[in-house]
Formats: sequence, structure tokens, C-alpha cells
Amino acid sequence: MLVALDFSAVLSAWPLLVRGVAWTIALTLVGTVLGLLLGTACAWARARNLGPRLPPLRWAVAAYVELVRNTPFIVQLFFLFFGLPALGLKLSPEAASVLAMVINLGAYSAEIIRAGIEATPRGQIEAAQSLALTPGQVFRRVVLPPALLKVWPAMVSQIIIVMLGSAVCGQISTPELSYAANLISSNTFRAFEAFITATLVYLALSMLARRLLTWLGVRFLVGR
Amino acid sequence: MVEFSLWDILRNLLLAARWTVTLSLIAFVGGGIVGLLLLVLRLSGVRGSGRAVGAYVQLFQGTPLLMQLFLAYFGIALFGIKTSPWTAAAVALTLYTSAYLTEIWRGCVAAIPKGQWEAAQSLALSFYEQLRHVVLPQALRIAVPPTVGFLVQVIKGTALASVIGFVELTKAGSMISNATYQPFLVYACVALLYFALCFPVSLVAQSLERKLHGNRH
Amino acid sequence: MATATEAEKTAQSGTASARPIVEITALRKSYGANEVLKGIDLKVQRGEVIAIIGKSGSGKSTLLRCVNGLEVFQDGALTVNGKQLLHDSPSAMRELRQQVGMIFQGFNLFPHLSVGRNIMLAPTLVKARDAQAAAAQARQLLTRVGLAEKFDAMPDQLSGGQQQRVAIARALAMEPQVLLCDEITSALDPELVGEVLRVVESLALEGMTLMMVTHEMAFARKVSDRVIFMHQGRVHEAGAPAELFGHPQTPELRQFLSSLHD
Repeated sequence: MLVALDFSAVLSAWPLLVRGVAWTIALTLVGTVLGLLLGTACAWARARNLGPRLPPLRWAVAAYVELVRNTPFIVQLFFLFFGLPALGLKLSPEAASVLAMVINLGAYSAEIIRAGIEATPRGQIEAAQSLALTPGQVFRRVVLPPALLKVWPAMVSQIIIVMLGSAVCGQISTPELSYAANLISSNTFRAFEAFITATLVYLALSMLARRLLTWLGVRFLVGR
Repeated sequence: MVEFSLWDILRNLLLAARWTVTLSLIAFVGGGIVGLLLLVLRLSGVRGSGRAVGAYVQLFQGTPLLMQLFLAYFGIALFGIKTSPWTAAAVALTLYTSAYLTEIWRGCVAAIPKGQWEAAQSLALSFYEQLRHVVLPQALRIAVPPTVGFLVQVIKGTALASVIGFVELTKAGSMISNATYQPFLVYACVALLYFALCFPVSLVAQSLERKLHGNRH
Repeated sequence: MATATEAEKTAQSGTASARPIVEITALRKSYGANEVLKGIDLKVQRGEVIAIIGKSGSGKSTLLRCVNGLEVFQDGALTVNGKQLLHDSPSAMRELRQQVGMIFQGFNLFPHLSVGRNIMLAPTLVKARDAQAAAAQARQLLTRVGLAEKFDAMPDQLSGGQQQRVAIARALAMEPQVLLCDEITSALDPELVGEVLRVVESLALEGMTLMMVTHEMAFARKVSDRVIFMHQGRVHEAGAPAELFGHPQTPELRQFLSSLHD
């Protein structure tokens, strides 16, 4: 019936797994920071209650957001890694992975943060303006922190989705966790054990990440 | 070197896109049925069902879909059943969809004010009568926009089936890209075809959402 | 001392001879560590109209909700029409809720059903009444509450007062022995309160047993047979309206009554 499972071969390759985890975390970290910056900028550009009143910019951002949200991440990744070299722009697997994650998270967080920004009570903005704050200060000090706090749970979920999505980057040989699992699987012929192990590690990572990110939100966004 | 026209590329991609659509629909409908069963189980208050379904949801939401596909592909084979990429993809995506849908729908039921449950209880309706005649009809209305929205996620999810060898749109794209040495063009077409599938669905979901919230207050 | 307690008991139980329709004995309820009902004794006779008054947090609504089982109590006993309230038995609860109807502060009409269907739903499902008979009954009840023409209207098309009257009709469709009214006019604009109170008054005059938690003191004074003043989870004072409102015995009741006139 059930073929005997042998985890020893998989677990003895733990250095590979550790390297994979390290890469997954690194990719997620860089991708998240840059993605959030990009997303915030896009949210600001598109927010109905502030931002530049430049229709072309709005449209460009809208097009970017809809394009990214309505195409699979793997296709975005392949486009960047396989497609761009045809234009002379060759990226390493790692660079392509980070770029893809930044572009992906940027689009999703743009929408999430925009919702938070547009929910800012008008009175807050007017009060800040009345206190002679510059538009930049109004945005950074008065609008953004409560907006981020409000949408933080949705943001945390999205970051975790991107982290789990990074598993696809192994397909272009980025040495992250799923790549490690694939490697171990082909070395040991213990495919199921390798993938189950990697899956459980991902599960642990996502649970830890959720706790950590939620705590970060409370720590840094409240009481600033 | 064989010259490939844009039409050649598109034609082959469109043929493969049929499989994307088929797989998406199977996963969505199958996942919907399983998700509904899980929802009723959870609501019925059977001891431990809440935690069990919660763990099920946590499993699928906390792990990469790619891993789920690999596990389905290699895991089913462990039982001696011959798995084709198609079967593995269908199973994995159905379960994946069921987890997300049951969670979305649970949220919708939770959004029904307690007063509705209490009024129904006060009228001596049984639990299933409360659910069927008072709560679910209202929850259904709220559930339509996010459910339709999730269809977009399912369509995008089918792209990962390419990794386990299922020839849908993305896999076709890889194959054609290798054959034509035009990865930029081919992957751009692939992206646009996904966009053509997903964007209308997204728009419908958004308009349903607007209609729902416009209606309510 | 002994005569005072006896007099209390008679006041609390009304006519001591007939079998009370609702009998509450030493009822205790806590939310976690917070004890909300600290031993309630109350007997309600058939056809009696009881008004329950008190500050918010005194446990009035909680007590009412215990009577139809929406709240579970930890200690004591509650009997309706001779049957003990058993939380664990769905069939007993179903039976209970056919005897005891409830009207809510927030109306809680079913928004996806028309007015007529709101009223018809429970009789069709629980009493297995056929659609025609249920519809006929619904129309008759709507006429009774003054909304005959609203049979096909949707709840969101009605004013608050109208919705509450539909809610009353809905509860009456189950032909209950007792009606519980939980602050049924508190969520209404002042000009709509009257129409609802008129319906309740007519129910009282017809002999319906009513237990109402209310802030409408004038109404309570006019319509009720007995008024219960609750304070911090206990029945603090009880008696005929003229007595209670006219000659409050305890400082708490005096303070409560004076605070209403501010």
C-alpha cells in the first residue's frame, strides 16, 4: 500500500534546506521593503483624496496595478528572466526574483495602502494643513501611519502570500527553499519526503512571519 | 530556422488556454462543493470541527501552492495510483480552492448580525432551519463578490500546474518560447492572455462589490 | 419581619392561587467572573403584564433573554407553562419558543424576505402550516397591527415603527402564550413610539401575558399590572405601578425615578 517513507536522506541534506530558508527569507525581506516603498508611492499617486492630480500618472499606475494583479506571478517572473534578455537586459536568477517580487508586492500593496489612505477622515488632513505642514509632511506624518495601521492585517497577509509565492523562484534556479527541495528530491529520489519537509518548513515560516509582522505593526505603527 | 508568425504563437497559446479554463472551472466548482461541506460542518458545531477545518484552512493558506502541487503529484503516486499531471493539478487546486472559499464564506456568515440568529431562534426554528432560511440566504449575497474575485486567484493558480508538467497556457508558453527563441514576445502574449481571462472577472467582482455596498446603506 | 417578607412574596407573585405561567426561582447568571443575575425569584400569572425597569446593567434584558433561552443561566430554575427550561434539549427549546415569543429592540426582521414572508416563515416551518393558511394568518395579523397593505413590501421600505409592528405580528403568528418585549421602542424615533405602544396595549387588553423591559414609564404605569425594579442583578422592588411609581420605598428606586425626569 503505502511505500515506506524515509526522511533520513532528506534531513541529512539539512545544509541545503537551511541555505534555502535563508534565501527565502532574504528574498522576502528585500522584496517586502522595496515592494512597500513602491506600493506606497503608487498608492499616493492614485489616492483620491491626495496625491498629484495628474491623470496620466493615475492611469499609468492603474494599468500597472491591474496588469500585475491579473497575471500569474510565475509568468511575471519568466517574463523578467527569460524575456528581458531579448532586449539586452540580462538578470541573474536572484535579481530577477527580487525584481519580480517587488513589482508584484508593489501592485498589491498599492491597492491595500490606497484603501487605507482614502479612509483618512478629511478633518485630519485639514487640521494638518492648517498647522502649516507641507504636503509631504502631511502625508508622511498624519495620513500614512494611521492608514498603514488600519490596513496592516491585510498587508501582513499579502506579504505572506508573496513569501509563499517565492517558491516559484526555484524554477529559475534561485537557491531558495523549493529549489533545495527539488535538488534533494532529484539527489535522493525521495521526492515526497523532500517536499513534505519543505512544506512544513514553509508552514512554520508563514506562521512565524505572521506573528513577527503583526508584532512589528503594533510596535512601530502605534504611538508614533 | 523556421519562422514563426505572431499568429502561430497566439494560436498555439490559445489552444493551450482551453486547458487553463477547464482546470480553473473544475477547481472552482469542485472546491466550492468541498468548501460548502466544510462550512456546514463547521457551523453545525460538531465537536472539534471548528478546529479541524481551521487547521485545514491554515495548511492551505500557509504553504505555497507549488508545494501543494508537488505533494499531490508525488503523494498520490505513493498510494500506487498512477498520477498524471492533470489529476494531481485538479486535486491540488480543488483542495486549495476549498480551503480559501470555506474561509471566505465563514467570514460572510459571521457578518450576519447576531440579531438575525436570535430572531430565528426565538421563532422556534431549528439550527438547520435558521441556517437555510435566514442566515445563508443573506450570507450568500455578501459572498458573491469575494467568491467571484477568488476565481481570478484560481485562474492564476493554474499557471503553477505547468511546473508539474501539465500543458496549460504557461507550459505552452515555455515550450513555444524555447522553439521560437522569442521569449519576450511569447511571455508577453502569455501575460496578455491571462489578463484577458482574469481582468473581466475582476471587473465583474468589483462591480458586484460596489452594487452590494451601494445597496446596503 | 415575617409579615414584610410575606407581603413581598404576595406582591411578587400576584394572585398566589392560580398556576403561574412563568416561574423563575433563584435564577443566577454570570458572564465569566461577572455575576449579572444574583438570584431572581419571580412568578408571572397568565394574562399579567409585567414591566421591568432599572438602570442599564441591572440585568433586565438578561433576565428577559433567559426566559426564552437566548441566555443560559448557571443556577436556579425557570419553568414556562409547567415545563422546565432545558438548554441542552433542542426539542424542548423548540417547544418553549412556540410558547414564548420575543420582540427585539433592533426589530431583526429578515431583510431578504418580504413582510408577509417574514411572518409566514416560522409557522410554515415549525407548525407545518400550509402556505395558504399561513398567508391568510399573516394578512390577518398585519391588519391587526395596522399594516394590511404592506404584505408584499420589503423590510427596508418600512419605517422603524412599521418594522417593529411587523415584528410583533411575526411573533404573534406562532400564537405564543407569553410575549417578551426587550426595549422595543428604544430604537425608535419619538414620533413612531406611539404606534407601537398602541399595539402592545391592545395585546395587553386582550389578555396576552407580557413581560416588557421598558423605559417608557408612563406606558408602564398605564398598562402594567406589576412593575419590577431591578438593581445590580436583583429584584429590588416590586409592586403595582401606582405603588411603585407613587411611593418608592428604596433610595435606589427614588434616585432612578428622579433621574428620568431630568
